[in-house]
Amino acid sequence: MANIFSRSSNWAPIKIIIGIFFLATVVTSAVTYYATPKYLRVGYQPQQPVPFDHSWHAGKDGLGLDCRFCHNNVTKSEHSNVPPTSTCMSCHSVIKSNSPKLAPVRESLQSGEPIEWVKVHKTPDYVYFNHSAHVNRGVSCVECHGRVDEMQTVRHDKSHSMAFCLDCHRNPQDHVRPIEHVFDLGWQPASGSATPKEQKQAQRELGAELVADWKIQPPKSCFGCHR
Amino acid sequence: MKRKSYHTKPTTEAEFKGPNYWRSLDELQGAPEFQEWVDQEFAEGASDLSAPDRRNFLKIMAASFGLAGVGMTGCRMPERRIYPYSKQPEYIIPGVATYYSTSMPFGRENIPLVVETHQARPTKVEGNPSYTLNGGGTNLFAQVSILDLYDPDRARKHHDSKGNFLSSKDVEAILAEKASNFKDTGGSGLAVLAEPSSSPTRARLVKAFKAAFPKAIWAEYEAVDFSNSSKSASKLLQQPSRPVLRLEKAKRILSFDSDFSGFDVHGTANARAFASGRRIKSAKEATKMSRLYAVESNLSLTGANADHRLRLASTNIPAFVNLVASHILVDIKAPDGFSKEQQKWAEKCADDLKSKKKQSLIVAGSNLSVEVHSIVYAMNEKLGANSSTVDYVAATEVSESESIQSLASKLNKQSIETLFILGGNPIYNAPGSAQWSIAQSKAKEIIRLGYAEDETSSSKGKKPTFIVQSHYLESWGDGRTWDGTYVPVQPMLEPLFQGFSDIEVLAHLTSDPKTNGNDLVKSTFAKLTGNSSSRAFSKWLSEGVLSKSEYKQISGSTGDSPSNKDFSPRVTTLSKENLELRFVPSSHTWDGRYANNGWAQECPHPITKVTWDNPILISAKLAEELEDVIPEAWRMSDKVFGQSLNQLVRRTNEFNRGREIAPIAEITVDGQTIKGPLHVQPGIADYTLILPLGHGRTKAGRVGEGTGHDFNPIRRSSDSSAISGATIRLTGDTYKLANTQEHWSMEGRAIVREATAEEYSKHPEFTSTLGMESHSPKLYPKIKDVNTGKWREMTEAEKVKHVPRGNSAYHPPNFTEIEKKSDRLELLIPGRTSRDGLFDDDPDNDEVTQTYHQQWGMVVDFNTCIGCNACVVACQSENNIPVVGKDQVLRGREMHWMRIDRYFSNNAYREDGKPDKMEIPDDVQVSFHSMMCQQCDKAPCESVCPVNATVQDEQGLNTMAYNRCIGTRYCANNCPYKVRRFNFLDYNKRQEGHFYEGPLGPSGVNELHQMQKNPDVSVRMRGVMEKCTFCVQRIQEAKINHKAKNKGSGDVLVPDGTIQTACQQSCPTDAITFGDILDEKSKVSELKSSDRNYAVLGYLDTRPRTSYLSKIRNPNPEMPNAYLQPFTRKEYESRNGHGGNHGNNEDSIHKN
Repeated sequence: MANIFSRSSNWAPIKIIIGIFFLATVVTSAVTYYATPKYLRVGYQPQQPVPFDHSWHAGKDGLGLDCRFCHNNVTKSEHSNVPPTSTCMSCHSVIKSNSPKLAPVRESLQSGEPIEWVKVHKTPDYVYFNHSAHVNRGVSCVECHGRVDEMQTVRHDKSHSMAFCLDCHRNPQDHVRPIEHVFDLGWQPASGSATPKEQKQAQRELGAELVADWKIQPPKSCFGCHR
Repeated sequence: MKRKSYHTKPTTEAEFKGPNYWRSLDELQGAPEFQEWVDQEFAEGASDLSAPDRRNFLKIMAASFGLAGVGMTGCRMPERRIYPYSKQPEYIIPGVATYYSTSMPFGRENIPLVVETHQARPTKVEGNPSYTLNGGGTNLFAQVSILDLYDPDRARKHHDSKGNFLSSKDVEAILAEKASNFKDTGGSGLAVLAEPSSSPTRARLVKAFKAAFPKAIWAEYEAVDFSNSSKSASKLLQQPSRPVLRLEKAKRILSFDSDFSGFDVHGTANARAFASGRRIKSAKEATKMSRLYAVESNLSLTGANADHRLRLASTNIPAFVNLVASHILVDIKAPDGFSKEQQKWAEKCADDLKSKKKQSLIVAGSNLSVEVHSIVYAMNEKLGANSSTVDYVAATEVSESESIQSLASKLNKQSIETLFILGGNPIYNAPGSAQWSIAQSKAKEIIRLGYAEDETSSSKGKKPTFIVQSHYLESWGDGRTWDGTYVPVQPMLEPLFQGFSDIEVLAHLTSDPKTNGNDLVKSTFAKLTGNSSSRAFSKWLSEGVLSKSEYKQISGSTGDSPSNKDFSPRVTTLSKENLELRFVPSSHTWDGRYANNGWAQECPHPITKVTWDNPILISAKLAEELEDVIPEAWRMSDKVFGQSLNQLVRRTNEFNRGREIAPIAEITVDGQTIKGPLHVQPGIADYTLILPLGHGRTKAGRVGEGTGHDFNPIRRSSDSSAISGATIRLTGDTYKLANTQEHWSMEGRAIVREATAEEYSKHPEFTSTLGMESHSPKLYPKIKDVNTGKWREMTEAEKVKHVPRGNSAYHPPNFTEIEKKSDRLELLIPGRTSRDGLFDDDPDNDEVTQTYHQQWGMVVDFNTCIGCNACVVACQSENNIPVVGKDQVLRGREMHWMRIDRYFSNNAYREDGKPDKMEIPDDVQVSFHSMMCQQCDKAPCESVCPVNATVQDEQGLNTMAYNRCIGTRYCANNCPYKVRRFNFLDYNKRQEGHFYEGPLGPSGVNELHQMQKNPDVSVRMRGVMEKCTFCVQRIQEAKINHKAKNKGSGDVLVPDGTIQTACQQSCPTDAITFGDILDEKSKVSELKSSDRNYAVLGYLDTRPRTSYLSKIRNPNPEMPNAYLQPFTRKEYESRNGHGGNHGNNEDSIHKN
């Protein structure tokens, strides 16, 4: 029998194995870097049908509205609701009542059809998240959503992965604040001149007091979020 | 390397018209800016390139495409939308359930309910606790009724007799036309057939109808008629009246063929009251328990809970009533024909009743005649039960109506021009004697108000004008509970599909100025209460009951007891050639109305545990006799898997691979024949055949079609009175029955622990002497009390923290009790001591507090659980549990998280513990055992999950993370209680009957079914294990609400009684208790400290959080064949070799 395979094919198995190993490494790294919530979600900033500007409405340089003016059910319900059109029109029926940017809002009120907002933050179907449980226990909006009051268009600021949630659930003292400051997104635990390290330490101490006083015991087991 | 610039070719005309692949949403929207951008061949800046090489060019192109929203941006996150309201309705908060009170019309009574709605969609039905007689419990049918609202086969459009669709306005016009046409003739030629209703609004509209059309016929019919007790009461007291049982006051109850705590009027309230008489807190109260005697032909739920039960054919029960009456009343002669034993039974029973006088009660079943009821009334009178354990109340608003038979005869005379049929399904379930299908076609015009295109709506011959009927959850109405309390029927949402209610149709017919249901009810309410303020109306709606609106009691007796001299029933001898037929409502469909309701069909029958079918029940004796007449050909065939058997004796009743192969028999009576599968059932009178109604429908919808067999053709009347003179013949065919529990023996294990009241009062510790754990060193050692220094048993709270002996790897969760605030801070900030000076070390602020997670536990009391199965369906409703269909149940894949096991035990056991005869016993005792995930502290399922999908959490629950489960099923394998359910197929997504087609079959949950799903619970996919979670969504909801209410404070412990699991809330008898076991004052801790408390299969040391209170029976030692130990105990004792001398000496009970 003549040689079917040349001598160089002796190296084929090793090359294939090394190649597979290399491929696996690359794929794993690629997925870990590119396909995890930290990369996929952070920075997602879709265009909305109405260019609602949070920095004007809620920011301290603008109107300075409290979050609950529109997201009024956040303390009662699992959803912090996107407000119905009638909430927008409570002001915009008189203010900028002819602005072309607000045309979808006026149309929605007239037709009864909802404004089709693009959803920025979404947890998977098997996760149950309840806003009121957090907001009523000292977790501010900024901990998970970032400085929304400085965003012109809402973007996904944090990764919202399970690790992100567990980070806080395991160390609640680093993320809770007194109830009266929950909706004050710019609040700092120490005075404004403190360094970030000092802020962190101040937060930890204040948080520890609150966790102790309020008996904050975030669920760390599956049923806390996965029902 | 330089390349030439790449020129894109301009798009040709043809390409414009070709397939339109859109690259981004902007393009799809056709935004003009995008169009402009696309028209430019090159991106801005492309021409500025100094060195136009390919690489740079592509970079810019890609970047600019990306900025424009084309390309991979769509891949980062799939775009989803939020749709808020345009104008949000009041009180609707997305994510928060709103509860509305209403009631469910069910025959001649309404069941008060509170319905949980999510954004106006009803998702769960609960009982209304304001109606204290039901106490917040419901029955099985109230729980399943919500699925009917979302029935995909319900009618959606009105249509006329030719099939043209009509609008609601058209329908109103038709009704108005009819009203004016018949006004001139005074209603002659007009007939209405409706079902009975307790609604005062309908009663006054019927009155108006009769006034407007004096010659018209108003007929009512019921497929299952339970009105004999009311009829007899009305006759005796000479006014419309009815009996209301007060079982909570009764200590001795005798039931003649009555299923008062199950399928009979006021069943829920009676069950609750009966259970309150059985509930005992300690051994001292044991002898204060009530005692129930039952004489019946069918093994009903009530009879299953009886202390003494006599099997007797229904035909002979009237004579037996006389036999008992001969001991109580003076002018009754005891009839002949009863055996010595039966006579003794009657005598001793009567003696027992007489000894309790005012606290005794005799109840007669609705299938017994009015004469029998009169005798029972007289007996109750003599005993003093009337106005004590039974109240007769004046029932108003009962409309006079004709029977369906009389209407049928008038129809046959061709004297009816227009026939209205409001609800019901007379072609299917009217009694055969009316011959309704022929009669209905004789009317010149039929207008039908119906819920679906059922048999009546699509009768051959004359097609009716069809008006869509609205469901009770989407219509206005009112009603009265059995005892007369006025309750509303309030809609949760606008009718999903057009829809009229029966009162609206009547209002149109009588040209009432108000035709809106809301207005009608408001005016009835104003008339009834004399208060027309909207405030009073709203209060009534919010409470769900009108206080003090019950029917008034009729005091005084009738004087002379009714003459019984003419009533002398004989004892008939029944035999194989002269069988008795007894018709009972089906636990699956009632009278056929729930045939298309998957939950109802799949909920196993409480006694037979058969799903999806209605087998004919026969006694073991008859089965033995039939063995002789089995066709030889059939016996020889291998239709039954090659065994030359008949399936009718026990040794072969172990069904082949879980499928019960039932022989089909033909029953003939009066020349009429029906066919049905036979199921041998212990506890049935020897020659009685029990025929459940409501199956075999021809037009029921996709779920109901093809289920069961129709027994209506041989029914004579609707009051379910027994027919005798039937014969039976085996056809040789077989039929598969889906039975969820074939095995009925506990095999000598102490699963349900029972004792008599006598034994319990003498030996309160008997529960802990049973079971294998009583024969091993104690699981929980005694501990020395820190305060008194005495040795005592551990409390439940301590047991939960106890580490098992023997170097166990198990450690209980950490319930750290922090004494001082400063110590707690130290735990949170490791490495930092409280002496750093950073806190104000204020000793006054350093309070002693406890911080622990509440530990959930549950207790089920066997004394009060009656086995009604309301909890099974409540759990299915709350937790989005799918319906799998008969085929899957045959494979053992039913998905109910909670099941009620029922065990039969009989009297004859040999020394070696085997039953005396291998045949199916005739006289049995029934034990019900509700089984759900026991939430074991040392769960065998947790340690074997390869991916840790099921772990113990801080609250003691055994959690289940569906997204992590990979479907190994080792956990279900390891579970000793077999409470885990696996989604073998995608039951939630694929449609029934198409499960095996997978993605190739029709998919998607029916849109209507989706509306019923509870948004707080995940819907599980194929390949995922699921099980009872102690309604964790309700636990979390209560905890979150409590914390939200007390924000900024340390008040985190949910008070006892706030959280009710779905099963607990629906239970009419409050058999289930749930709460925090670390709290020593909670109800559940109290029950767990009872001496009757035990864990099932406790010797496995799984430490379940769910425990049970053993069952106490209360036999009368004077009765013939009185048992000194319940039969399950006998089985246990003899199986475990505890000596053959049962009960007569002290050492028949093992002392530890």
